[in-house]
Amino acid sequence: MKNINFFVAVMFIAVTSCTLDKTDYEAEISTEVTEHFEYETVVSIAENNYQIDIEALNGTLYKGYNDIRLTITNTQTDENLNASDVTFLPIVTDYTGNNSSCPHQYNVDYNTTDAYYSTYAVFTSESNDSDTWKLYISFTDNGQTYSLNQDITVETQTNMNLNMTAFTADDGEQYFIALVAPQKPKIAENELVAGIYKYNPPSNEAGTFPDPSQYSYAVVSDYTLLLDPRMPEPSMGNHSSPNNVDLTQQDDGLYYGVVNYTMTGNWTLNFRMQNQYGEIIKGTEVSTEFTPGIEGARSELHIDILF
Amino acid sequence: MMKSITLIILLFIGLFSGAQNTEKKKDSVVALEEVQLMTIIKKKIETDMKMAVSVDEFLASSDNISFIKRGAYAWEPLLNNMSSERSTITIDGMHVFGACTDKMDPITSYVESNNLAEIDIKSGQEGNMHGATVAGSIDLKRKSTPFNRLKEWTGAYQTGFEFNNKQFFNLANTSYSSDKFVADGSLAYRKAENYSDGNDDKVDHSQFTKFNASLGLAYKTTELSSVKIEAIYDEAKDVGYPALPMDLWLSRALITSATYKQLFEEGLVRAWDSKVYFNAIEHYMDDTTRPENLVHMDMPGWSTTYGLLSNINLKRGKFNSEIQLNAYNNLSTAEMRMYPQDRSQRTMFAYSWPAVTTTFAGLSLNNSWAFSDQSQLNFGGSLGLNYNHSKYVEFNWIFHPGTPQEKTRLLPSLHAGYQLNIDNFNFSVGGGYGHRAPSVSEGYGYYIYNSFDRYDYVGNPDLKNEISYEGNASAGYANDKLSIQANVNYFYIENYIIGRILSLGSPMNYQSVGVKSYTSLDYSTLFNFSLNGSYSILDNLHWKGTLTYARGKDENENNLPFIRPLSYQTALHYKYNRFNFQTSINGDLEQINYSPEYGEDQTPSYTVWNLSADYTFRIAAYKTVVQVGAENILNEYYSTYADWGNIPRMGRNIFTSLKFNF
Repeated sequence: MKNINFFVAVMFIAVTSCTLDKTDYEAEISTEVTEHFEYETVVSIAENNYQIDIEALNGTLYKGYNDIRLTITNTQTDENLNASDVTFLPIVTDYTGNNSSCPHQYNVDYNTTDAYYSTYAVFTSESNDSDTWKLYISFTDNGQTYSLNQDITVETQTNMNLNMTAFTADDGEQYFIALVAPQKPKIAENELVAGIYKYNPPSNEAGTFPDPSQYSYAVVSDYTLLLDPRMPEPSMGNHSSPNNVDLTQQDDGLYYGVVNYTMTGNWTLNFRMQNQYGEIIKGTEVSTEFTPGIEGARSELHIDILF
Repeated sequence: MMKSITLIILLFIGLFSGAQNTEKKKDSVVALEEVQLMTIIKKKIETDMKMAVSVDEFLASSDNISFIKRGAYAWEPLLNNMSSERSTITIDGMHVFGACTDKMDPITSYVESNNLAEIDIKSGQEGNMHGATVAGSIDLKRKSTPFNRLKEWTGAYQTGFEFNNKQFFNLANTSYSSDKFVADGSLAYRKAENYSDGNDDKVDHSQFTKFNASLGLAYKTTELSSVKIEAIYDEAKDVGYPALPMDLWLSRALITSATYKQLFEEGLVRAWDSKVYFNAIEHYMDDTTRPENLVHMDMPGWSTTYGLLSNINLKRGKFNSEIQLNAYNNLSTAEMRMYPQDRSQRTMFAYSWPAVTTTFAGLSLNNSWAFSDQSQLNFGGSLGLNYNHSKYVEFNWIFHPGTPQEKTRLLPSLHAGYQLNIDNFNFSVGGGYGHRAPSVSEGYGYYIYNSFDRYDYVGNPDLKNEISYEGNASAGYANDKLSIQANVNYFYIENYIIGRILSLGSPMNYQSVGVKSYTSLDYSTLFNFSLNGSYSILDNLHWKGTLTYARGKDENENNLPFIRPLSYQTALHYKYNRFNFQTSINGDLEQINYSPEYGEDQTPSYTVWNLSADYTFRIAAYKTVVQVGAENILNEYYSTYADWGNIPRMGRNIFTSLKFNF
């Protein structure tokens, strides 16, 4: 009887211990991407009797879309300003000394519920030896205007799910598309959020630097971003997913749609941008054919992601 | 640490085996009358042609079983021309679920012919004893030696060689019986290389290796009760599936149970049989042996089942009743791990079964009432509760946004039949009604590649229950020399589940051409007919013949797939002294009613002629049988309607086998 128990036990152990380990799914989908939830201080600036705190997710500014919060404190009264006219202008200077900017919100709104000034910037390049970024900020208090500027560092965005692209569309205008969410996609339905911006070329001569009229960007309104997500790897044969929803603009100015990722790996978000008149002004339709062994052709307007 | 774990497991098993159960049979007083409701019980695991058969070959000799074949190994049994998710396939009533999403491991592949005693096939709702079904039930009954006042060892050893695929097999089984204690054990090992088709071309990737061991121990606790523990271990390695783009690297199954049996000499309750069981299956595919695959995909699968069944047999006068409680819990998980051309890093991952739990509890009741010498009424019913839970439901949401993570279904079943015997004639008529829940793949499958129609299949958790209405009838005549029997059944199946092309999907698997989603047809109909005859021409010369026909249609009168065309088998058996000679011819006619919508093409007719001879003699005290035979003597090149990818069947195969009984 003992022998038999032993025999059964051995068989039990032999089989219940799997030969191949199961994939740890939670680990599988979290390795590629770090998700940031916390707004931390990027930089604190002291100007006269004021302290200006600039906050962003993870306390870092990245290439691409950045949601930015400002708080301005009167250090003498220790009170936060809430009725100030605040302006915000990022400027990049290249090695030839040329100045340019990127999509941003110049006139900053005040968020009364959470008590901060809210703006954003879509940085179009990282800080490096040739490109240096500077923020030009002004605010008013008691009828007086204060201006300041601050060097900042724009880091490389390692999360491909927050990539951006800049392009000139068929209407001759310069556009920017930046992914805002999801930071960490799931094998599931994901709400896809993007910002679409365009550059407003100046109509007047440049005034004193920095003249905001020379660096004007606007949120594009009433466009539609047609979406066709695909896996570009040759082995995936141009695989796509069902039930995706094109991106349309919502009240906050951003564009919302739905992307379904059927598995982890490299994906390309193929876009076609349609203006308010229903004309496609950028992007090509991609093949829906299943083409195993051939790298999937991308739309001329696309953003690659990985998760 | 390891030691203490081992100790704990040993203790656990000791406890388990101490609390264990079963075994009756010819036990002291009571010889149980099995309630047989128009049952086809196949005795003796050998066919007329061949004494050393695989489980698949044995099942194939039954009228209402046909097979989908993906190679030489692990054929998927179709009962009444319906795929395996429509029937309940059990081992001694235990539910075991394959771990392969591509159905490369039907339950029948985890047993061996030398640990089975018989296979109990019931058609339609009469097969509801072990759980909800539409097509019926296939119960693989394990060998169990009865208690015996004399201490006795018996055993058999069988070896053989099949020339076509160089299959070498060794099957051994032994049993010990005494008044208090019985042990059954078996070992089997088969190894085969690629087989050749009728054009003498090798069919690549058709090799297999299989090892199977089983053990059963029974102890008589009192004169009328016994406990029994049983285990089967099965391991298949390097199994080729020529019809699929991948092979099996390894599959392993451990199937264990503990049974307690109590018999009663008088009173209404005659026997009470309870069993707890556990089985675990792991199945690992491998496609690196196929150079044509530019991308490699590992598709490991795991299936674990815990279960309980308890059966009470009641008898009063001519009334016989069987009540059974079935409960089980299964967890099925299967993964797709894809590698780009550079295999060094795995980049793509998805679940093809997103950790799906199935919990079932049901009560079945079957009665037979022999109200006169000529007539018997069989009737019964069952009610089951089926609960599914998908752990990673986000996979299901991609195609079915917002579908609930859990689903509970009620599965009722009813059937009744009347049997009449008048002199040499017998007649029967019956009907049934029953529900079944979608299988894990049908409900929760995710991009399961089906190489038959080359589509990726996606499950739908919101599928309705499949509801079957069936009618059956039979008529027969038998005398000393001649017997003839006709059986017919008809199924009207509401919400028939089948894959339909999904326009919005894009395939994931390399060989695939599109995506199909499991959907419910409004209804479909299935008709099965079989005619059997036998005639004793001389005392030692017998003839047997079978004719079967089936037809399946969907709601639009289109053909259903995998419906067997008109098929026939005719066999002669001649006995001369210690020699037996058998010859048989079987074949299918041309498949007229094929189904292009579901990936079928027309299969031409074929005829296969087989011949075998055996001689029985004694070596010392051991009865020995030697057999030589040939299958497909004319080396016909053919494939059947259900051969996946029109893979050709085996050409001429000479087989030899030697069996010692001791």
